[in-house]
Amino acid sequence: MLEYLLAVGVIAAIYLLLTQGLNLQYGFTGLVNFGHVGFFAAGAYASALLTKAGVPMPLGFLAALAAGAALAYPVGLLSLRLRVDYFAIVTLAFSEAVRLAITNEKWLTGGVQGIPGIPALAGGFGVPLSNSMAAFLLLVAANVAVVLATRRLVKSPFGRLIQAIRDDEDAVAALGKNPGAYKVQIFVIGAALAGLAGAFYAHYISYIVPDQFVPLLTFYVWVAMILGGTGRVSGAVVGTLVLMGFLEGSRFLRDAIPGVSEVEMASVRIGVVGLALILLMLHRPGGIMGDYTSK
Amino acid sequence: MSLEISGITKAYGGLVVLHDVSMTVGTDALVGLIGPNGAGKSTLFAVVSGFTRPTAGTVRFEGRSLDRLAPSARVRLGLARTFQVPREFQHLTVLENLCAAAPRQSGERLWTLCVRPGRVRAEEEAIHQRARGWLEFLNLARVADARAGTLSGGQKKLLELGRVLMLEPRMVLLDEPFAGVNPVLIGEIAERIGELHRRGIGFVIVEHHLQALSALVKDLYVMDRGAILAQGSPQAVLADHAVREAYMGGVA
Amino acid sequence: MSVEVFLNLVLNGVFEGVIIALGALGLTLVFGVARFPNAAAGDVMTIGAYAALGVQALAGGLAGGLVFMGGAAMAASALVAVAAHLAIFRKLAGRTAVALLVASIGLAFLLRCLIMLAVGHDQKVFAMPILRAIPIGPVRVAPTDLWILAAAAVLLAGSFALLHLTPIGRKMRAVADNPALARASGIDVDRVMLAMWVIFGALSGAAGLLLGVKTVVTPEMGWDLLLPAFAATILGSIGNPVGAVVGGVLMGVAQEVSTPFVGFTYKIGVGFLVMVLILLVRPQGLFARDADVR
Repeated sequence: MLEYLLAVGVIAAIYLLLTQGLNLQYGFTGLVNFGHVGFFAAGAYASALLTKAGVPMPLGFLAALAAGAALAYPVGLLSLRLRVDYFAIVTLAFSEAVRLAITNEKWLTGGVQGIPGIPALAGGFGVPLSNSMAAFLLLVAANVAVVLATRRLVKSPFGRLIQAIRDDEDAVAALGKNPGAYKVQIFVIGAALAGLAGAFYAHYISYIVPDQFVPLLTFYVWVAMILGGTGRVSGAVVGTLVLMGFLEGSRFLRDAIPGVSEVEMASVRIGVVGLALILLMLHRPGGIMGDYTSK
Repeated sequence: MSLEISGITKAYGGLVVLHDVSMTVGTDALVGLIGPNGAGKSTLFAVVSGFTRPTAGTVRFEGRSLDRLAPSARVRLGLARTFQVPREFQHLTVLENLCAAAPRQSGERLWTLCVRPGRVRAEEEAIHQRARGWLEFLNLARVADARAGTLSGGQKKLLELGRVLMLEPRMVLLDEPFAGVNPVLIGEIAERIGELHRRGIGFVIVEHHLQALSALVKDLYVMDRGAILAQGSPQAVLADHAVREAYMGGVA
Repeated sequence: MSVEVFLNLVLNGVFEGVIIALGALGLTLVFGVARFPNAAAGDVMTIGAYAALGVQALAGGLAGGLVFMGGAAMAASALVAVAAHLAIFRKLAGRTAVALLVASIGLAFLLRCLIMLAVGHDQKVFAMPILRAIPIGPVRVAPTDLWILAAAAVLLAGSFALLHLTPIGRKMRAVADNPALARASGIDVDRVMLAMWVIFGALSGAAGLLLGVKTVVTPEMGWDLLLPAFAATILGSIGNPVGAVVGGVLMGVAQEVSTPFVGFTYKIGVGFLVMVLILLVRPQGLFARDADVR
């Protein structure tokens, strides 16, 4: 039983890290990023490859952060040239380009076969616990750190400025400040968090393949963020919990109903995510906790 | 020292919105710019403040050419503007709106935020004090902690003014500061502008409220169909025949 | 690369390009009139392909041919497009483009789920007569491709005729130009929207059918066409119908010509690359009228 709860907890904490990163980008700054999974993949592969080559795990995790950040910088610069909705399309194309690259470059990434035998978290950080326990504790620590840092950031002058940018970018420019630089910084931070989440993921499940890094994952995170309430730290937490409830619940449902194949369940999940996005936009864009527009 | 607009032309394809507009305004001036709708006043502001590139012509401020400078760069040189429709940061409080405007805040740099929190705190204190000072001046102190989006139209105009004042500008382009404001507040806003002018800030004001404007400014420019039609003291200009013709539509 | 191979690639690129052009024209219409990028366009195309497949299965063979199946594809997709407009997009009118975009992503996923549950995951093909390629000078042309080109040309020509020669087309262009002014001039914007969604659906359904004829029919096929179609609209300047068509053809050619260099997997990546390059060099697209438009 504990093993099961830990497993769910680990996945939930990984999603929470992803949601917090996206919330910084969209909820607090207004950047629409449909390519989140691309940075997640970058972090996963970066850490997996480096640690398999003998690099100590903490450095691998650092590299994952750096990989997310490094890829985000040029993409973020593009955001300055584009309307927000077209930037969204470009980020989506970006994450698909990442998936194409990791599928194609067999010499580096193992191609479609992926990377097996990724070192486990417990060993890599020298923690005498089971892999799930180590992963869970480290992830909780990481998430708490991010929550605290986000709270401080939002109250700071920097945080004030990015929220002003979200409200009216041109008005910020009319005050003598260049919104572009700040947008890029936040985009990079959010992507670095996604990269970190990727490293946790890789070292937890120990075997990664390109097919795990599809746009559907980006939109799971979007549903979690909107459902919880954008621009609010509590929203990210609540939204992730509900998302996990749905994902785990769908597994139980499949086991309970005879004759439903895994493939069919996967299709249903896609459909439910789609429906959730539509209904949220139509009826409750503020989410459960209310978004930044309410007190 | 002045704002020199020379030969500004702006065309959107075949449509010429500004036609060889030239004017020189000293930075100690208090000048009005009027004209019927579509005369090109807002477009002129957009060109001067850098939100639109002119098809031809140049703008110089304090001797420096502004060509190719982004809007934020022009503001840093001391030339600020407000918008016709207030663009307050609606989800920030009134106080936060003003604080956000303060220039050169070290707390806006991530690195400084992390390694010199003490310095950031001290600066924030100073900024808060300055902001509260301006809120008092503008009679907005009561609503300092209200979300800016909840203010009335007139209060939002005052808020815009407050934000611009935090920049310590040399010259401000005011785009219809009286529009949509209740008459009582108009007088108050005009008085504040006058006081600020006495303190040394130059103003170019686009307005349709001719009465309030003429009482306030020393010099009036009239635009019609993309060109300057007349210039002079408010009394002389408003009595001018051509100006009256252009305004046949009737304004306040 | 020999001239022959190059010409063949260019020609194949044109055949693919006109299909992309159909999709891009639909996208640019939605953008111009409803003012948002419609991420569900791909899956609307997929529906058209499956509808035509269904008709072919029922009619047992190529009876009536492309025209009959084309009608089915366009009708099915138009129906779905109108339903989506009435149930979703119209209710979101006045919200930000982001809200509409997110809803359209949701719709894309929902449609894909329904397709997969209805017809399964496997790849299907249209039963096409096996014909020999026709040599024309240095190149060899498959007759199917010629039919595709002809069909696409007719649809594109028809669309432009509709946009420029009919009252509804003129109203649509007025709404795209300035919705407030159009409404003030007495144009029934709701009817124009409805007409736009019908045309978008028809064009997308046709694109799906032609793509399915040229390649195979899978639940993901439309989504795969979406990114090149978006790149085409950006290349041709968002909201510009001629630009979308030219952009589509250019994208098709670019993808084909680059295949020997970058390999088959990266062919779709070319779309991303083109988008990025344009945005760096000329963000407003090739056909923009005003350099200030961001």
